[in-house]
Amino acid sequence: MALIDLDKMLEKIKSTQWALADFDWDAPGVDRITPEQWPKLKEFMADLMWIEHVGARGFAAMAKKAPTDTLRQIYRYFHAEEQRHANAEMALMKRWGMLEGDDIPEPNVNLRLVIEWLDRYADEMPYYVLGTVIPMLEVALDGALCKFLLDTVDDPLCHDVFKRINDDESRHLGVGFTVMEMQGHSASYIKAVQMMGPLIDPRLMLGILSYLPLLNKMRDNIVALGLPEEKLYDAMKKFERIGGRTEDGRRNPWYQIISRHGRIMVNRNNRFYHAPVDALVRVTGKIPTAMLPKVPSWVKELTYQPTA
Amino acid sequence: MTMTTQEHPVQSADVLIIGAGFAGLGMAIRLKQAGIHNIIILERGTQVGGTWRDNQYPGAACDIPSNLYSYSFAPNPDWSRSYSGSAEILEYIHSMVRDFELHPFIQFEKNVAGIEFDEQHGLWHATTDKGERYSARATVLASGPLSNCSLPNIPGINDYQGKKIHSARWDHAYDLSGKKVAVVGTGASAVQIIPELVQQVDHLTVFQRTPGWVLPRVDLATPEWNKALFRTLPGAQYMTRQALYGVHEAMALALIWRSPLTAVAERVALMHLRHQVKDRWMRRQLTPDFRIGCKRVLMTNDYYPALQQPNCKLITWPIVQMTPKGIRSVEGIEHQFDCVVFATGFDVGKAGAPFSVKGLNGRDLDDEWQIGAQAYKSISVSGYPNLFLTFGPNSGPGHNSALVYMESQLDYAVKGIQKILQADLLALDVNASAQSAFNRNIQKRLAKTNWNSGCKSWYLTDDGFNATMYPGFATEYLAQMSQFKEKDYHLVQAG
Repeated sequence: MALIDLDKMLEKIKSTQWALADFDWDAPGVDRITPEQWPKLKEFMADLMWIEHVGARGFAAMAKKAPTDTLRQIYRYFHAEEQRHANAEMALMKRWGMLEGDDIPEPNVNLRLVIEWLDRYADEMPYYVLGTVIPMLEVALDGALCKFLLDTVDDPLCHDVFKRINDDESRHLGVGFTVMEMQGHSASYIKAVQMMGPLIDPRLMLGILSYLPLLNKMRDNIVALGLPEEKLYDAMKKFERIGGRTEDGRRNPWYQIISRHGRIMVNRNNRFYHAPVDALVRVTGKIPTAMLPKVPSWVKELTYQPTA
Repeated sequence: MTMTTQEHPVQSADVLIIGAGFAGLGMAIRLKQAGIHNIIILERGTQVGGTWRDNQYPGAACDIPSNLYSYSFAPNPDWSRSYSGSAEILEYIHSMVRDFELHPFIQFEKNVAGIEFDEQHGLWHATTDKGERYSARATVLASGPLSNCSLPNIPGINDYQGKKIHSARWDHAYDLSGKKVAVVGTGASAVQIIPELVQQVDHLTVFQRTPGWVLPRVDLATPEWNKALFRTLPGAQYMTRQALYGVHEAMALALIWRSPLTAVAERVALMHLRHQVKDRWMRRQLTPDFRIGCKRVLMTNDYYPALQQPNCKLITWPIVQMTPKGIRSVEGIEHQFDCVVFATGFDVGKAGAPFSVKGLNGRDLDDEWQIGAQAYKSISVSGYPNLFLTFGPNSGPGHNSALVYMESQLDYAVKGIQKILQADLLALDVNASAQSAFNRNIQKRLAKTNWNSGCKSWYLTDDGFNATMYPGFATEYLAQMSQFKEKDYHLVQAG
């Protein structure tokens, strides 16, 4: 994959902005959501919306750490764009009657744990860790889930909205893979060891402990929605395929870790991995909401209202 | 020349001063005190005061203590507080006009359209936009770096149908009470406006692009006994001024260069933030990611509390565009307002003057400065004889009172003007070699300062060239301005 010209990308990002007000949220099509899919879709959309928001927080951390001003600006935009996706998805939920009053959907416990981790530690994580994990999350969860949604939902407005969201996401992925390759470029042995250093950081271990059950939990949700889990796995393979397309990309040690984990994750026969992680999903699912800390205030900035 | 201009007789003077703000009036006072009385001051407004006449927004105040932000030759024992508001500073400027009887010299509503040097006669010719003509042996450009407002380059800014106010052109007739208002910008003006507006409006939204470093400010009312002491013992006020000067000079070590004191200043600012803002995410949004001193340091105790008022919201999403009803930001929401306040600063005069300045052989100052403004000691420009700039290139302080710097510029200009008049010179023109040697040294020193450490600010051009700040202590600047080195100038005798 050829490296993207990041300056041109920033200009493109700036010139292709859209807003919730660009859509008619009362347009016909609401009745195309069937009563059968409604409850599952509600849960699916809530998770999707929160995943966007988790991505947003990740980009916020990267905006602080990026090595160039152009990248800092790009991540600043990506942070806001992920928030916009979450807002738009909430607006769809509102349109479909899935939100009561001004309430925002509750994130599931696994997402809550990831949110908590991001709030506490994301800003302290090295750039190359975030720079690899976020493309994986984008490919595996965000990108894949959006596609599943469009295969399932007939509402034309939903398709219009997701066309814009997917356009944004393709730019996020383009930058994500470019940055991974840039990081792999001239990765000497010493640099590679330095890049692996954070593995022994207990804060990162906590992050991994929240990330692994989140992936398995999302797989459960996809299955609950009646979709084949292989689609999620296909998406995860995409990360390995695109990220490892060039030598620079393959030389990035974090690409190697994440893609290898992806391979293990998509192998449902690997009981050695899935049994404990599925157990983690069950255990974390039993954590009482009252035991979780207060949600950070960035969570409360979400809104389904096109105007404020 | 048009018919209109020919209808106007030429008014002549020894010295033409353009601008009746702090610099122009101070110049006139120092010239009078040096025995030069044939002066004309051209002012485009209807009042004196310059920046302080224009900046009458709610909360406007100086961020240098008043005893230091005033002329040493015009002390005011009656400052009401440590940091005075704009109305009191404007009144001080008016008092200078009264006390030094400057009114006869000032011509109001004279908006200069251009000035040109006449080499043959050693005269500067000035023309206003109404065609009035002036000529003078010497000209002082006292138009000020902060004289023109700057509106941000936001797409659709002209589409917005609500009320637009620039901080430097406040509309006092517009009632903000009960309104939904936005403030764009979080710089020095904004942090003064926001605490005032949040008390008046129904809802305030603050759009921040880059958070600044905020230090606490010790702003106390001056007790009556203090004023009486300064009135009866001017030496006490002088000592206070010198003490304040010394404290600010020490701050150069923290703000201009990276030193252990820089880390101390950053620590103090972060403690101030932690003390005033409890929410972790908000603190993160308000934490700068550049070195303190790189941009102008903000001094306020009221800004952070104002942002946390229930009717206030801080938005850090990038702005996409303005629409007829408000501002769209990248998170996809259109924020609608009755009024948008632009606290977005000034179009800082990288061009030297807001009008055409033509020197020897028709050379044009604006053209020559396109690649970066340059002057000798910030005051003289080679090829533009008998011309003196106030707050010219590389004269900006980052840590001390602008008026201390300005005073030294005025005294330097007086020396030059005296030379022109007493020696009957056609031209006093700084040597190009002296100017470039001076600037090489300045740029070398600037490279090591916090201003040039990587952030974007109004001190730098888009290319990162710093033609604004002086990279040293005020004491160094004053020392350089105290010497008028004739050998650095080319002198052309009349006749």
